[in-house]
Amino acid sequence: MTLSHLATEDVFVVERNDADFRAGQGMTKGLGIVFRKFRKALFGKPNSDRADTEGQFNVQYPEERLVLPEAYRNMPILLYDDATGHELCTSCFQCERICPPQVIHITQAKDPATGKPVPAAANFVLEYDTCMSCGYCAEVCPFDAIKMDHDFELSTGNHPELDVNYDRLLRPISYYEAIAPTMWSDVKEQAMKKLQNNIKRRPGAIGRDHGQKIKGGAAVAVAATPAAGAAPAAAAKPRGPVAAIGKNMPEEKVAKLISIRAANAAKRGGGDAGAAPVAEAAPIVETVVDTPAAASAAPSGPVAAIGQNMSEDKRAKLEAIRAAKRAQRGE
Amino acid sequence: MADALTQLGFASWLSVLIASSIKVTLILVGGSVGMMFLTWYERRSISYMQDRRGPNRVGPQGLLQPISEAIKTMTKEDATPREADKIVHFLAPVVMLGATVLSFAVIPWGRMFPVDLNAAVLFVIATGGLHSIGMMMAGWGSNNKFALLGGMRGVAQLISYEIPQVMAIIPVVLMTGSMSLQKIVEAQNDFGGLGWYVFSPVGLLGFALFFTASLAEGERTPFDIPEADSEIIAGYMTEYSGMKFAVFYLSNYMSNLAVCFITATLYLGGGNGPGVDALGGFAGGLLSLIYFLLKSFALFFVMVLIRATVPRLRVDQLMSFAWKFLLPLVLVNILSASFWVALLRWDQQWPQLTEWFGAPSTADATNWGRLAIAVGLTLLINAGAVALIMRLTNRNVQKHLYTTDEELALGLS
Repeated sequence: MTLSHLATEDVFVVERNDADFRAGQGMTKGLGIVFRKFRKALFGKPNSDRADTEGQFNVQYPEERLVLPEAYRNMPILLYDDATGHELCTSCFQCERICPPQVIHITQAKDPATGKPVPAAANFVLEYDTCMSCGYCAEVCPFDAIKMDHDFELSTGNHPELDVNYDRLLRPISYYEAIAPTMWSDVKEQAMKKLQNNIKRRPGAIGRDHGQKIKGGAAVAVAATPAAGAAPAAAAKPRGPVAAIGKNMPEEKVAKLISIRAANAAKRGGGDAGAAPVAEAAPIVETVVDTPAAASAAPSGPVAAIGQNMSEDKRAKLEAIRAAKRAQRGE
Repeated sequence: MADALTQLGFASWLSVLIASSIKVTLILVGGSVGMMFLTWYERRSISYMQDRRGPNRVGPQGLLQPISEAIKTMTKEDATPREADKIVHFLAPVVMLGATVLSFAVIPWGRMFPVDLNAAVLFVIATGGLHSIGMMMAGWGSNNKFALLGGMRGVAQLISYEIPQVMAIIPVVLMTGSMSLQKIVEAQNDFGGLGWYVFSPVGLLGFALFFTASLAEGERTPFDIPEADSEIIAGYMTEYSGMKFAVFYLSNYMSNLAVCFITATLYLGGGNGPGVDALGGFAGGLLSLIYFLLKSFALFFVMVLIRATVPRLRVDQLMSFAWKFLLPLVLVNILSASFWVALLRWDQQWPQLTEWFGAPSTADATNWGRLAIAVGLTLLINAGAVALIMRLTNRNVQKHLYTTDEELALGLS
C-alpha cells in the first residue's frame, strides 16, 4: 500500500524493537498531528483543493453544492426534441429487457387508425423507488432516448409518487445537454438522425408537444422547424380513423375499411356498452397501477371477452368485482 | 447568604433552607448547562480535528444543538424490558447522576466554595466510588447478558482505576497538609499565583497519573470499554432508551466535567493566577472563576484530543496498565512526595530529627537551595521510576504479544 498521498510527517512508523525505550513518543506525536489538524481546520481557510489533506472539507449542502461530474448518474429520464416536441423513445423495449430490477414498464403506442404498433411509447413507467441507478438502460438504448439524470433530491413523503410516468420522465434535450455536454455531443448526430427516421414512421398524431408541462423545458413552438413541419400539422387535425385513412386510397376501399373497422370496434366493445370505455382506458391505467397485469398486455382481452361466453348474471357479477377492485386502487 | 437572609428577618432555619436551595439549584444548573456545553464543545472540537465542521445549524454556531437533542430524547419512547428488575433498572441512572451531582458540592468555582469540607478530597473520592454501584445496577437490572457483561467490565475498570486515582492525590495532600480543597487552592498561590503543584516534579507526575486514571474513571477514550459503542452495543446502557439513556449520558459528561474541575483544583492551582490577588474583592473572584473555567476546559480539550487520537484499549491491556504501570508509579510518587515535603520542611516540622538523631541541620540553607535539592531529588526518583517501569512494561508486553525475529529464527514459538 502506498501512502504517497499523505504528507510525509503524517506517516509515523513505530519501530517495535525490544531494545528501544518507548515512552509514549508515538502517542505524543499522534496527539501533535491531531492538534495540527485541529488548528488548520479552525484557523485555516476551508479546503478547496481536494488534493490537499488538511483544512475543512465540508460542503454546506443545500447552499453550497459540488459540481457533479458529467458521468454522474442517478435516475433515468427520457429525452424529447426541443424543436419538434417529439420524444426520442421508440419503445423498442431494450431498456425494459436489460433492467436488472425490472422497474421499466413500456406500453407501445399504436396507430389509432390501423391499430398497428408504431415506434413511440404510449406510456413509460419507471419505478424510481426500486431503480438501482445502474445505468444499463441508458447504455443499451440505441436511440439515446433514455439518459441518466443528475437530480438526486427525490425524497418524498408519498411513496406511490416514485412510480414515475411518461410525462414526468420527459426532459428536453437541451436539459441533458446542459448537464452532460460532451456526452451528448458524442451521440448527438446519430440520435437526431434516428429521431428523424422514426418521426417519418409515425402517423402524424403520435409524438406530442411537451413544451408546456415538462419542467426545465422551454415552451416549444410547434411549427418551429420546417423539417418537422408534417408532425405539428398532423397534430392539429382531428384525431380519428377517417382522417388518417383518407389520404392515398381510392374511395370505395376507404368505405370498406371503415365498415370493417366499425364492425371490429363493435365486437371489441361487446354487447355491453358499459364495458367499452373500460376496455379503452384499460391499457394505460392498468400499466400505471398494476404492472404485472400490464406486462401480459391482458386487460383489454378479458374485458372484451366478458360479453361473449358468459351468462348475463355472471358477467354482471364479474363487472361488479372489477369495479370494486378499481375503486380500491383509487382509479 | 444565610446571614443576609437572617438579617432580612427570616427565621434562622428558613434562611438556611432558602440559601441552601438556591446554592443547590445553582450547582445543578451549572452542572447540567456545563454538560450541555461540553457535548457541543466536544463535537465541535473533534470535528475540526477530523477536518469537518460539526454541528453548526441549530442556533448560532450550533449552540442550540444540545437543547434540540434534549427535546428529542424527552419525546422518545422509554422502554423497559419485560423481564427486567423494574426498580433497579429505574434507579440505576438516578444513582449514577446522584453520585456525580454530589461531587459538585465541593468544587471550588474559582475561589467561591459552595461547601468547604475539611475532608473534601475524601468526599470527592467517596462519591466517585458510587458510580460503580449505578453501573452494576444498570447491568444487572436490565436482565440482559450484554448489559451485565458491560456492567461487569465497567465495574472492574472503575475499581481498578480508583486505586491509582486516589493514591495520586496523596502527594497533594502531603504537600498541603490538608484535605480541604480550599486549603489546597490557597497553598498554590505562591509566586504571584503561579505556585501550582504541576510545576513540581511530584505534582507533574501526580497530575499525569491522576488525569490518566480519571480518564478511565469517566469512561473516556482510550478507556471507554464499559460502553464501547462499536463493540458491545453500549454495554450496561444497552437496555436504556429515551431520557434514561440521556441521564446516563448526563452523568457521564458531568463526571468528566467534575474530573476536569478537580484536576484543575488539585494540580493547576484552581482559580489562582496572575492578577487575582491584585484585583481582590469581587473582580478578583470573577477573574479567578474565569481562570478556573479556562483551565478546566483546556483539560477537557486534552480529553477530546486524546479521544480523537488514541484507539481503545483491550480489556487485558487496560487492567495491566492500571495494575502494573499506574500503581507502581503512584507508589513511587508518594515516596518522592514525602522526600519533597521532608526536604522543604526539615527544620520547621521535624526539629526532633536534628535534635535527637543528629541529622544535619538545614536551618542555615536558603529556601531556594532547599527547593533546588528537593526538585533534583524528586525529579531523579520520579524520572528513574518512570523509565524503569516503562521499560519493564514494554518488555512484558513484547514478550506476550509479539514474536521477535530472533525467536522466530530459533524456533522458539
